[in-house]
Amino acid sequence: MMARKNLLLAVSAALVYLFLYLPLVIVVVFSFNDSKLNAEWVGFTWKWYGKLLYNQEMLTAAMNSLIIASVSAGIATILGTLAGIAMHQYRLRLLQMLVLAPIAMPEILMGVSLLVLFIMVNMTLGLISIMLAHITFCIGFVALAVQARISSLDPALIEAARDLGATPWQCFREITLPLLMPGILAGALMAFTLSIDDFVITFFTAGVGSSTLPLQIYSMVKIAVTPEVNAVSTLLMLVTLVVITVASRLSPAIFRGE
Amino acid sequence: MKRVLSVLMLLFLASPVLAAEELHMFNWNDYISEEVVAGFEKECGCKVIQDYYSGTEEMMAKLQAGASGYDLVIPTQNAVQALIQQDFLEKLDKAALPNIKNEDPGFLNRSYDPGNIYSLPYAYTTTLIGYNVERLKELGVEPNSWAVIFDPQVLAKIKGKVTVMDDADELFGAALKYLGYSVNDTDEKHLREAQGVIMKAKPYWAAFNSSSYIKELTVGNIWVAHGYSSDMVQARNDAKDAKRDFMVNFFLPKEGAVLALDNMVIPKKAKNKKLALQLINFLMDGKNAAGLSNDVGAGNPNAAALPFINPELKELTAIFPDQKVLSTLETLDSTNTKVRRLKNKLWTEIKLK
Amino acid sequence: MLKTVQGKVWSKYLLSLPPMAYLLIFFAAPTMIMLFASFRYPGEYGGLAPWLVQDGGQWTLDLTLENWQRLFGTDIYLRLFVKSIGYAVSTTLICMFMAYPLALMIARSGRKSRDLLLLLVILPFWSNFLVRIYAWMIIFSPVGALTRILNGVLDLFGAGPVTLMYSPTAMIVCLVYVHLPFMVLPLYANLEKHDPYLLDAAQDLGAGKWRRFWLITWPLSLPGITAGSILVFIPVLGMFAIPDLLGGTDGIMIGNVIKQQFMESRDWPFGSVLSMVLTVAAVVVVLLGSRLSRQRAGMGGS
Repeated sequence: MMARKNLLLAVSAALVYLFLYLPLVIVVVFSFNDSKLNAEWVGFTWKWYGKLLYNQEMLTAAMNSLIIASVSAGIATILGTLAGIAMHQYRLRLLQMLVLAPIAMPEILMGVSLLVLFIMVNMTLGLISIMLAHITFCIGFVALAVQARISSLDPALIEAARDLGATPWQCFREITLPLLMPGILAGALMAFTLSIDDFVITFFTAGVGSSTLPLQIYSMVKIAVTPEVNAVSTLLMLVTLVVITVASRLSPAIFRGE
Repeated sequence: MKRVLSVLMLLFLASPVLAAEELHMFNWNDYISEEVVAGFEKECGCKVIQDYYSGTEEMMAKLQAGASGYDLVIPTQNAVQALIQQDFLEKLDKAALPNIKNEDPGFLNRSYDPGNIYSLPYAYTTTLIGYNVERLKELGVEPNSWAVIFDPQVLAKIKGKVTVMDDADELFGAALKYLGYSVNDTDEKHLREAQGVIMKAKPYWAAFNSSSYIKELTVGNIWVAHGYSSDMVQARNDAKDAKRDFMVNFFLPKEGAVLALDNMVIPKKAKNKKLALQLINFLMDGKNAAGLSNDVGAGNPNAAALPFINPELKELTAIFPDQKVLSTLETLDSTNTKVRRLKNKLWTEIKLK
Repeated sequence: MLKTVQGKVWSKYLLSLPPMAYLLIFFAAPTMIMLFASFRYPGEYGGLAPWLVQDGGQWTLDLTLENWQRLFGTDIYLRLFVKSIGYAVSTTLICMFMAYPLALMIARSGRKSRDLLLLLVILPFWSNFLVRIYAWMIIFSPVGALTRILNGVLDLFGAGPVTLMYSPTAMIVCLVYVHLPFMVLPLYANLEKHDPYLLDAAQDLGAGKWRRFWLITWPLSLPGITAGSILVFIPVLGMFAIPDLLGGTDGIMIGNVIKQQFMESRDWPFGSVLSMVLTVAAVVVVLLGSRLSRQRAGMGGS
């Protein structure tokens, strides 16, 4: 009985994975395609990767994207986790609005309004202004993931720790935080993904010469995105995967919530 | 794994910025010859850092909010007009620009900047129609008029194989020309008439598309596309390179079309005006100016460039219009709020119905 | 006792102040600027007109309600909202159906494989958005395999050929694709904690697997569903890139019109009006939705 259900579950999950990876296969395969049209298979080549090595602009942009995404996701995860816990424990209407509204705010308006703000306070546009903007729209995603996690937890666990004489900080560190970890991790992954892929808000908040990968790629839209972009996307995926794997090897506790 | 790590290493090595002088340029996508830029970097011992935009409004929004730091911007004529009126632009020091003599007088002293006090022409494109030669021939569609994208009788043969630009000014411009009006006509009655033409044709179109029509044409998904001349040159070459069983070509409709004249300007807030002037002068050198046409397929307002331009390209009247064709072309004027709001309303209605 | 209460007050501020302060500065303040902008006139060449004008030595306010009147003067914007909400609701529902088995499977698999499976969900999204959409465009292409196979099958049943490219179907597929992880991740975070003993206990009491699911797993997962739905529904509502690229001639959403105001027609005030309405509408929908689900969860739990 149970096994049949698991089979059904496994098959449907596998189908969803297939859906997720179908376009990705095309992205990766076409990065080896010997035609700049990016439309049908012609032949195998490494040349787009070779070209990429000499494309200083693209590499700098990729580096910028990684830096911005890591920093923004990191800070947004901290702030978002705090907000998520606070929203669950105390009925804070204002905080709830502040967390939800940036998700709902159209990107363009957010981009323009942040640009106006940065100019008003005479801030130089660059990596920092992009990060500040990215953190703004990532907080809500983390907060909601954390909140969804807390709702499923047993409040008795924390009470019990308190009764055993734990200080609030101990209680938070030893009990709450590890229990929340899957939610925090889910939030951090979403924040990283949103940041590394954002175009609109980045366009407005980027300064001269602080281009990110999406900005670079959008500038190529007109001339049909070449396989070089597929190549850089493939590499970026690999690099992120390696970084995360290494990080999780180094500190498995963080990723397992133990 | 090793490969990934070596790329990572390279990324880190690449990050320290060179100490050379920097020039920040804000230009249309894919609208410069990289070879010429490299030549300039060599000559001045500086570094040209480019940012790109893909629509006048993107650029204007960014400049209007006060973004500074660009030394050289390449806007289209109607944007130049707006930027001048907003007092964003620096007067050009003609003494530092000896190559000004190379510019074709026909493109100087235009109404958007009389006397070229703030701007100098850089390149131009027309908005025209690219098409699949074989398919249209088979169907007996004559490629000569805007009717190809507006006349329901013609469109019935190519239903679902047509894209038009996702740009109110360009599409209204084309429809107004088709009706025999000026592209800058602001009479509400005429604009409504143009809206009617667009609405009747819309069911036959596959999409509003300003971004990927080059590819769709070259792959053969789309047979008729409304777009910029330089893009169509690219589509034609791509189709040839990919050895398709069809050819992509383009034509300027006999009713006339929109001409976009792009210019070099220096913002008042520019940090490195001297270097910007130096680059403008460099780009007006005949040979350098020709690089733009040869690489990008844009028309050239530089008379001294003509001898260096690929003769095959030079012969195309859609790219290098002769006097007769030129008289049918019009540049778009900068519009005021009222007209923009009206057009926007009509445009939203088109999109929604 | 007193100490605990003090600790609570202290931790309340410690928890809520940093995110609150950040969002007040970088979200609320700029939003207020734009809310104010919705009462200003657009600048003659774009941007905003000055709101204080000097008129013969006297300073006067130059503000207007015109931008708001424009919104209510016609029904096209209302129709746009309805259409966009339609797209957003269908996308959210499809995401929910697809994400649930995936999240459940990940939550029920072993500790070690769980992280990997989760990473696999998000991995495709570290390649660029545009590149992924272009990949879908290859899949949907009229000369592509999918369209040909589909039309071959349709032909067997005597149905006419269809085009996938530039159709609402293509749009929805991509909308779902792009937003799916935002449903999977919060749902997983919620499902991961469910107590397997509850299910075992229910089984011992003789409950069938679907009954067990409906009585236990589903009600407990509602907070995850709610969070996921919010994270899918709202961003889809304001989406413009996918309708732009894949929507064809009819695929327009409110996001496109907002983009039009800021970009093509350089009408910041009206763009602000539309954005404010969209934001408020989205937040209201979400608050209503989460209240409903909380009530249902409360009922399910009891």
